[in-house]
Amino acid sequence: MNTKAQPMTSNDSLPPAPRAPSILSAYRSEMAIAIACIALLVGVGIFVPAALSAGNFANILQASAPLVIMSLGVLVVIITGGIDLSVGSIFSLTGMVTALAMANGFGDVSASLAGLGVGLVFGSINGALITLVGLAPFVVTLITYAVAASLAFIVTNGRSLGVDSPDYWLFNSGQIIPGLPNFVLFCLLFTVALEFVLRKVTAGRWFYSVGSSPMAAYLLGIPVKRTRFAAYVISGTMASFAGLLTVSYILNAEATAGASLMLQAIAAVVIGGASLSGGSGSAVGAVLGALMITIIQNGVNLIGINSFWQGSVTGLAILVAVLIDRFSHR
Amino acid sequence: MLDADLPLLSVRNLQKSFGATRVLRGVNFTVRAGQIHALLGGNGAGKSTMIRIMTGGIRKDDGEIMLGSQRGAEPKIAIVHQELALVQDLSVAENIAMVHATAGLTIVRAGQRAELAYNALALLDPHLARSALHRKAADLSMHEGQIVEIARALSIGADVLLLDEPTANLTAGETERLFAVLRRLVRETGIGIVFVSHRMKEIRQLCDVCTIIRDGLTVVDATPLDSLTDNDIMQQMGQPGAREVAHSRRRFDMAEAGLVLKGAEAVIPIHKGQILGLAGSPAGPSQVIALLNGTGRSSSWSLDAKGWPARPASPRDAVALGIGYVSGDRRHKGVLAQLPIVDNVLASRRVREKRYMVRASERRECLDLVHALKLKAGSIRDLPSTLSGGNQQKLLIARWLGMSLRLVVFEEPTRGVDIGTKRDIYDLIRRMAEEGTIVVWWSTENVELLELCDEILAFDTDGRVKGLLPHDRFNEDALADLTGMAA
Ligand SMILES: Nc1ncnc2c1ncn2[C@@H]1O[C@H](COP(=O)(O)OP(=O)(O)OP(=O)(O)O)[C@@H](O)[C@H]1O
Ligand SMILES: [Mg+2]
Repeated sequence: MNTKAQPMTSNDSLPPAPRAPSILSAYRSEMAIAIACIALLVGVGIFVPAALSAGNFANILQASAPLVIMSLGVLVVIITGGIDLSVGSIFSLTGMVTALAMANGFGDVSASLAGLGVGLVFGSINGALITLVGLAPFVVTLITYAVAASLAFIVTNGRSLGVDSPDYWLFNSGQIIPGLPNFVLFCLLFTVALEFVLRKVTAGRWFYSVGSSPMAAYLLGIPVKRTRFAAYVISGTMASFAGLLTVSYILNAEATAGASLMLQAIAAVVIGGASLSGGSGSAVGAVLGALMITIIQNGVNLIGINSFWQGSVTGLAILVAVLIDRFSHR
Repeated sequence: MLDADLPLLSVRNLQKSFGATRVLRGVNFTVRAGQIHALLGGNGAGKSTMIRIMTGGIRKDDGEIMLGSQRGAEPKIAIVHQELALVQDLSVAENIAMVHATAGLTIVRAGQRAELAYNALALLDPHLARSALHRKAADLSMHEGQIVEIARALSIGADVLLLDEPTANLTAGETERLFAVLRRLVRETGIGIVFVSHRMKEIRQLCDVCTIIRDGLTVVDATPLDSLTDNDIMQQMGQPGAREVAHSRRRFDMAEAGLVLKGAEAVIPIHKGQILGLAGSPAGPSQVIALLNGTGRSSSWSLDAKGWPARPASPRDAVALGIGYVSGDRRHKGVLAQLPIVDNVLASRRVREKRYMVRASERRECLDLVHALKLKAGSIRDLPSTLSGGNQQKLLIARWLGMSLRLVVFEEPTRGVDIGTKRDIYDLIRRMAEEGTIVVWWSTENVELLELCDEILAFDTDGRVKGLLPHDRFNEDALADLTGMAA
């Protein structure tokens, strides 16, 4: 069928041509968060000049890497209108399983794969219970959160495990690309890849469609269940990857390692502009959200405020971010 | 009793822009007691925007809104929004009683609530009042939901009633009953009513005066409808005048029917390129539609066609077979509210043509479709919520345009669409059929089915098949008889 526009003659009933989308406007809210991050850094720098040193920047990047990666996974789930409470426990259990495997003579690679398997399995369980059985995401991931957390204690009876494989630190701190530590490389890679998928791959648009209106998406022939299932698998696996990165960095695994990460990851996604009711959010935003949380923690430490205040400051940051988001949309 | 002819509500030089789009550029509008006032204008003219401003739903940029004070108090205003606004998880009774709660902390008496809701509903539809009080709003059909909303608005005893396309979701019989109630209300209590509709016939049946807005200005101000011809009205709205369509219907050789629709009571062969109308209230047509769009696994209907299963297993399956579907419930089953227009339009193509990547050419594709349908949008990156009701409807149709489908199902595709656009949509439907797509079209407007369909399958109000009319036996009265709906 000829659906080409008719030539624009004097026909005044033809509406004006819709404007071409501008790329800059697409990242408006992300730029606001980036500016807020810089402002925070400068603010801390006024009290503690060392905050603006290269060394401290490296610290912030290293400290934020696991949170960045975990937030990217949680973002996908939140875009589909779901929630994943199990990521922190998966993070901890991954570390324990990997360290235990190494202690039992497995090589670095096979032990890491076993660790990644934790996220894959728990993500699949989440996805299956939510899509096939039809349970609410909050309930399902609350269950897997509890189970994975307790398993993390059970595997070693609560003991923490050191990693004595001589080369394992290279996974986090080595430089596949000379000059660029791996943890930064991984963050960049995952961010770019996810942003690309979310914007340019049809399946990526499906995450938004499902989160926006599951019924409309279903009637359009979008595979709603598969899309939601995939979101939880991605989220679980990314949490495991973050867990591996941390083990490689501190060469030690502890059952409570990820306890505080789940709330931070959700906070990062929300600061990054995603709506908890689904249908919106971007990878760049989530990463900036994770960076902001880390910058706040770092600042609180440097200024020497009692670290118990960290949570309150982070809470305030979430409030400010959500308010900015609300008022930038008129 | 109010004095007739006193202004209850008047609006002077009202202005409103959304971003760079100037929607209202100085509109005047006056509602008087004892009048039913038609508010007219093409899709996107700003009717809903004005109504929302008058009730405080959105803020005006400039202008005056004056509430005439009769009995010392400001007149009470009730509104029925264009998009259904019931709380989906609450029961019908709770939804109706909601607007009567005076304080948040009153103790709810279920009996009182039910009685209030029953009385409100019985005014319009005694049968619904008996059967639906305790059903959840989510379980209502579109037209039941609409009746509940109107009943709710009527029940608060307002002095001004703002009805934004209240009949778009109603069958002809329901519309007639609503009109009788509205006329009585105006006669007996002297309230003022504002009525928005795109159906000329209804407007003439119900209204006394009309105001037309176009390009953000009032072009006709409270003029008696009797003094205006249909053509005057269309011209003032900026719509192309009524043109007679010479739709040459084709004879199909049913021995070669491409598809056979089998039901418990009827076997209906359908030919490539045929337009099959489904007439009647939703019970019957929805069964056929559920079969075709892949949602009705237990539908009593089945398909018989070469290479097709007896019933598509899912909407995904249906799309893969080449069946398109435009739902009549655009808010819940149509629009992807959080995605930009471009994603909304292209979603169907990406699935059907197995596009794995979002293509750069899709922007052009979307713009072409937007132009072809004269869809009025700021930017294709905007959200569908920035579109007027009629333009959202066009958005849903754009999804299936030019895709060489085998079959397409339309549920009330012209709902909320202005007269000019309605013509465009008829043309599009006819063109799809001429290219060999089977069109299955459900409409509660018998007139439009009679105008365009090759055959009409009529259902009665209980959902039973009452007959299959070939176009040479079309006639309004016959169809009205069969469907139990006044034409
Ligand atoms: N929130 C918004 N942001 C941007 N533009 C908007 C917004 N709401 C409405 N518009 C624009 O304002 C114009 C008027 O919309 P409105 O809904 O008032 O039209 P209408 O006369 O009710 O049309 P219809 O007959 O289709 O219901 C439209 O062009 C629409 O795109
Ligand atoms: Mg409107």
